[in-house]
Amino acid sequence: MTAAKGSPPVSPAFEAEALAAIDSLYRAALRLMRVPADAEDLVQDTYLKAFRAADRFEPGTNLRAWLFTILYNTARNRARDRARDAVDVDSELVERATDAPASTGVPETPETLLLRDTLAPDLQAALDALPDAFRQAVWLRDVEEFSYAEIARMLSIPIGTVMSRISRGRALLFQHLNRLRPVNA
Amino acid sequence: MPDCDSLDLLVTPYVDGDIGDADRRRVDDHLRLCAACHSRVAAERAVRELVRTRAPELAGLRASDSLRTRCSAAAAAARGQRSIVPAAAPPSWRARLVPYALAASLILVVGGAFLYQATDKSTGVLAAELTADHVKCFAMNALLGTHDEARAVEGAMLASFDWQMHLPDHAERMGLELVGARPCLYGEGKIAHIMYRHRGQPVSLFMLPRTARRASVVDVLGHEASVWCVGNRTFVLVTREARPEVDRLASFVQAALR
Repeated sequence: MTAAKGSPPVSPAFEAEALAAIDSLYRAALRLMRVPADAEDLVQDTYLKAFRAADRFEPGTNLRAWLFTILYNTARNRARDRARDAVDVDSELVERATDAPASTGVPETPETLLLRDTLAPDLQAALDALPDAFRQAVWLRDVEEFSYAEIARMLSIPIGTVMSRISRGRALLFQHLNRLRPVNA
Repeated sequence: MPDCDSLDLLVTPYVDGDIGDADRRRVDDHLRLCAACHSRVAAERAVRELVRTRAPELAGLRASDSLRTRCSAAAAAARGQRSIVPAAAPPSWRARLVPYALAASLILVVGGAFLYQATDKSTGVLAAELTADHVKCFAMNALLGTHDEARAVEGAMLASFDWQMHLPDHAERMGLELVGARPCLYGEGKIAHIMYRHRGQPVSLFMLPRTARRASVVDVLGHEASVWCVGNRTFVLVTREARPEVDRLASFVQAALR
């Protein structure tokens, strides 16, 4: 895409709004790449693509979600290039792999204790222990606060799979954190 | 009663508040009779709120200054060049979202378009959704035990809604005790939720920016919702108390808030 001559495609407002998402993008990149230098390269590549295609961004839609979509697509392409698919997981396989019942008949009390007692480091550790697919879904929904549809576009999976991964991710987190509770109590 | 499997895909939208009225009622009906699903919802809701509560701490990692510089330079480098990237989300995605995006609450966000007029909900539906948020927020407050001072609430309203407001003076003379405030999502817009207790009973005051509604009092879900409008803001006071008491509280708040 080329902007009309004399009309730069990247307006200062667009640039500023896009760069305001850099911390979120870097955190997402680090979760994907796990190596800070690789994460930084991914973020820079994401911005290069985004700024070059600024005229394709539809005003009024979510710019952060658009940037995340570029970031995930770029990461997927890189993984494909390396013939090592670290991002594009097989949805069915993931769902089956943790096909444990989402509920184990937990009484009311643990939920209240969970909310009150779980500290950020324990929660971070529990998130880190989740399979990638579930961690991404929970993170994008509950930390970055994207909609199901936005997450579906980023991860290239159906909306139903997004909901399923969020649900199972939360259930696994609950089980994991409850196991930690007696130790923390 | 629908079986658990048939409701499986509704549970997460239900917990997130992204569910239509009919489906929400189906889940509500099922949960009243199914202890296993009730526990599942409670667990998922607890984790959701926990992650969202801890999100600022979890998201503390920041990009380095050198990365910021490199990305800023990318803007200049990209001008006038070509690239192939995914297109922006087509409008159809947003349209498909609207039925889901009803009453997601307890989400700390800034910005967003306001859909109150666009969704054209009746005042009854509006009152029902806000009553649901009233119940949820007080349940969550009971768990978290948060308590905000008046100045903190006023500061949050200014920061989040650009709303220079002053909470009613001498609220205690009315038997009102300030609990706190939180921004909630309604549709795809953000609304203010200020929580009081009136002689121990939960009382919610919602402020919907850029929204106009006719004044009315609605009996909904065992609660009374008093609705009024000042300028381009709509206010809704929700409580279980009797109509005369609701009118008295609404008058008191109306006199102080603009």
